[in-house]
Amino acid sequence: MDEWKPNPAIKPHKKRSWYLAWKYKLMNQRMLRKLCQTGAVLFLLVTVIVNIKLILDTRRAAYEEEEESAQDYDDELLNVEVPRHPVSNKKVLDVEVYSSRSKVYVAVDGTTVLEDEAREQGRGIHVIVLNQATGHVMAKRVFDTYSPHEDEAMVLFLNMVARGRILIFTIKDEGSFHLKDTAKNVLKSLGSQVAPFLSWRDMWTFVGKKGGELYGEKHAKSPALSTWGDPVLLKTEVHLTSVEDAECHWPDTELNRRRKRFCSKVEGYGSVCSCKDPTPIEFNPDPLKDNKVFDVPVAVIAGNRPNYLYRMLRSLLSAQGVNPQMITVFIDGYYEEPMDVVELFGLSGIQHTPISIKNARVSQHYKASLTATFNLFPDAKFAVVLEEDLDISVDFFSFLSQSIHLLEEDESLYCISAWNDQGYEHTAEDPSLLYRVETMPGLGWVLRKSLYKDELEPKWPTPEKLWDWDMWMRMPEQRKGRECIIPDISRSYHFGIVGLNMNGYFHEAYFKKHKFNTVPNVQLKNVESLRKDAYETEIHRLLGEAEVLDHSKNPCEDSFVPDTEGRVYVMFIRMEQEADFTTWTQLAKCLHIWDLDVRGNHKGLWRLFRKKNHFLVVGVPASPYSSNKPSSVTPIYMEPPAKEEGAVAVPAVAAAEQT
Amino acid sequence: MQKINKNVVLALLSLTSLVFLLFQLYYYKFYLSQKNGAIFSKIRGSQSGQDSTRWHVVRKFLGLIASHNIPVYLIDPLILGLVDKDIEQIRSSPDGPSPECKYFCAPRDFTTFALLDKTWKHEMGLFRTAEKMGFQWLKIINKDPRLDGMDDLSGVEIPLHYIFKLASHAIHLVVFYERSGNYLWHGPLRLKQHMDRKFVPFRRLHFGRYPGAYEKPELLLVSIDDLKVQIPKNPSNFLEEMSHSRFLECRYREARAFFQLYPDDASLDAVEFRKKAKSLLHLAALTLNNLGVKFWLSSGTCLGWYRQCSVIPHSKDVDLGVFIRDYKADIIPAFQKAGLPLKHKFGKVEDSLELSFQGDGDIKLDIFFFYEEDDHIWNGGTQAKSGKKFKYLFPKFTLCWTEFVELKVHVPCETLQYVEANYGPDWKVPVKTWDWKSSPSNVQYNGVWPVDEWDDVIQIY
Repeated sequence: MDEWKPNPAIKPHKKRSWYLAWKYKLMNQRMLRKLCQTGAVLFLLVTVIVNIKLILDTRRAAYEEEEESAQDYDDELLNVEVPRHPVSNKKVLDVEVYSSRSKVYVAVDGTTVLEDEAREQGRGIHVIVLNQATGHVMAKRVFDTYSPHEDEAMVLFLNMVARGRILIFTIKDEGSFHLKDTAKNVLKSLGSQVAPFLSWRDMWTFVGKKGGELYGEKHAKSPALSTWGDPVLLKTEVHLTSVEDAECHWPDTELNRRRKRFCSKVEGYGSVCSCKDPTPIEFNPDPLKDNKVFDVPVAVIAGNRPNYLYRMLRSLLSAQGVNPQMITVFIDGYYEEPMDVVELFGLSGIQHTPISIKNARVSQHYKASLTATFNLFPDAKFAVVLEEDLDISVDFFSFLSQSIHLLEEDESLYCISAWNDQGYEHTAEDPSLLYRVETMPGLGWVLRKSLYKDELEPKWPTPEKLWDWDMWMRMPEQRKGRECIIPDISRSYHFGIVGLNMNGYFHEAYFKKHKFNTVPNVQLKNVESLRKDAYETEIHRLLGEAEVLDHSKNPCEDSFVPDTEGRVYVMFIRMEQEADFTTWTQLAKCLHIWDLDVRGNHKGLWRLFRKKNHFLVVGVPASPYSSNKPSSVTPIYMEPPAKEEGAVAVPAVAAAEQT
Repeated sequence: MQKINKNVVLALLSLTSLVFLLFQLYYYKFYLSQKNGAIFSKIRGSQSGQDSTRWHVVRKFLGLIASHNIPVYLIDPLILGLVDKDIEQIRSSPDGPSPECKYFCAPRDFTTFALLDKTWKHEMGLFRTAEKMGFQWLKIINKDPRLDGMDDLSGVEIPLHYIFKLASHAIHLVVFYERSGNYLWHGPLRLKQHMDRKFVPFRRLHFGRYPGAYEKPELLLVSIDDLKVQIPKNPSNFLEEMSHSRFLECRYREARAFFQLYPDDASLDAVEFRKKAKSLLHLAALTLNNLGVKFWLSSGTCLGWYRQCSVIPHSKDVDLGVFIRDYKADIIPAFQKAGLPLKHKFGKVEDSLELSFQGDGDIKLDIFFFYEEDDHIWNGGTQAKSGKKFKYLFPKFTLCWTEFVELKVHVPCETLQYVEANYGPDWKVPVKTWDWKSSPSNVQYNGVWPVDEWDDVIQIY
């Protein structure tokens, strides 16, 4: 085979002579020569074919290997990334706005961005803010200006909206009854010609740009008091501006990039999006010395109340000793705006597909959030649990850092909570004082991992049980006689007015006047005396030094407690057995503290402040502290109001009657 | 004319043949060089030049991460392999200058480092500095498995791998995450569609084909080739661990679907049983790990993991598998010491061994010993009253790590085949009545123990 491979080194003419010599030699052996020639041709052909095959084979092998390598490392989900918003060079938006008694809607470029035809809902002025460059909806609000004070909220909101944004207004049902002149003037300044003359049951639609330019306005007067104006439909065009014009020119930093992303998407967060001197989104509070909770994860439980979340995270990130890396916000549902808020602050947010309804939904969200928290931070022994409608005290972490070792060492503790159910402006006084209570207040609390993993998680109420998670946690099967540590002055403040179990009236009555600590670096006193046995000693010491109040007076009256300061007083109320809270509930009612159920008790003892004096209430004879009652004193009994009348309780002062 | 034609044909053929030969040689050389991994070194310098390139890239990288205070440690199997040979010497002279570049110059495409996620957060600055130093980098993110679970959560994707490329060498930085069960986890390396598939030869990476689970390593600061670097204190242990570190995630999505069909038993009994099973499993894992006996979840416990990511409440016991080659006589005393007395012992080490221990309450821990044959694996069963023997056949399997009830445990990697062998194609349907002698689809009658052996092979306490 080898001799048939021509030598490449030989030059053409040499090759020719070599060939001639060879030809001459074989001239006489024709048969042999012919045979050789045929053989040679065949052999060469075979070589060529084999070569071609070899090349093809190697190539295929190489190709397959490459393919294989790609397969191994390719993401399984070959999600074809469709550009989310087709780049349109459209400069004009078509806007349609409809206003009528029972229905309103707004459509932008054919897409309905607002539609409300629900009965007995959504009354008032609906406002939509659009980005002037992209046409995206940045905020949606409804102000029930039929009711008082809603117009003030609307003015506040409109003032927060950045210049240049497109504003769309439409009235459903009625929107003028409590629309005061201030609000009307603001609408006028936005370019509305009709606003100053809006009256009872008028229909009205308006599209304008903040800071000038009216795109369209339509109005239908109500002909009579008892009828509504005719429905109006406004169709208009809005000219979009360039993206540069719609943005502020903040210095290019990591923080401002977050800010820019946020501000181009949503409206209604005030000065955080001001072009001039925007409010900071990084707070750098002083670190805490010897911070024992620096590595404790913080779970923020949130729903779709992004403005609340914004306020909450601001206060949380301003608290001394906060560690932003440990904060996770758990959002119940795939809402965009809360996630935008979380990203604005550079925190990590997790969305949870909602399970079940109402209270059970909240309860399932709590469970998912707590489980995920301990998964994300597997070596954490505790987790701080917060909700989106809480302000966090500046010394929240300092308070926890000083007390958390108790939760680790004292088995008889259930939680540490930042909230004192009975800590109102007139009943809380001492920021350095802590209590042990048998109820679990929630609203900013610390959960022990072992409690969650070993006890709560396995038997957490299932989705079909429509239970409140906190009520469930307060049940004796779960609490098992353990207690929580709380401060006298709360380290959290519940500002939420809208919520599942919350409304304006309820908030005003039970939460608004709650005391909230604003003093930084409070040094807690006697933390060690909060341990199970030490606390009993402490209580006995307190009761020993306490002055017994005059039981012939009405405990609801201010004069029941003398006008002193810094003294310790005790009163005794009737409490037949452990679960008898008849008198306590009446007392709580007249003291204007939490009376909806029993909170803040410890073995039949309540501790609070009245007129800057420590005020102890002992339930006799159920409380083990009853022995401190002088025999001359008859415990006070207060009767619940008669059910039919529902009248205010008249305290029946048993002692007075007897003497 | 005829002759000339023939000669022309001959000459043409010879020429083609020659061209092909040359082409073939060239192609072969190209192919060979690609195989050797030189494809990605653009400069074909001298061998020593290449060696020092690697060293320089590693040095630059260590400088980069030191400037950002990022604690990384070396997990490169090639280098650790070399280091392990000289480990005594390296340990004893932590600061000695090295005469030659022995480790970081060894030929390879990558140097692999590990990074603990929780020790590091601020990445923005790092990449800017890296770019300034001339590194090209690639970040591979994917979803966070710690959010996987019975709840449907979705969070931000987390970084799993980084690759820093400079000149002809690349640094592979694997991000390890701590997970519940006290172990470290690294993710698989999966390229998204828009990613550069040619950035580095991904196939030759040592980490990333599968996710992996590791113990938290003890680290040692050493100086090798004049570079200060952290390495696992015991490189050979680490390499051993690496060779079978593959991790399987529980199939939470399927488990959720299962519970849609068959709602979970939320009764107090079920809660109580699960709690007991969990603590029994923790105790068993602790005991066996201390003895160095490798075990895996078997039978019902394995089915529970695979089907519903939890203990099956009506299973009434915890089942573990152990290869008979890993059997140790200490097992029984160790369990007894841990408070789990022997309940019964069936079979003998040579045949059908099975141990049962009594846990708290009426929950039982079964350890089945598995015997390997050429084409299958089996374990045995014994009926106490009749002395009948049974054999349960399984296709061959290897072991993978997984996380179950906050524990890092082994399961057969080929779980589906394992479960199907044991429970048949209908394993997805819960069955409350189960007879271990007839229900399993892989059971075979295996004769009767000779009566004179009964005292030995059937021990009941």
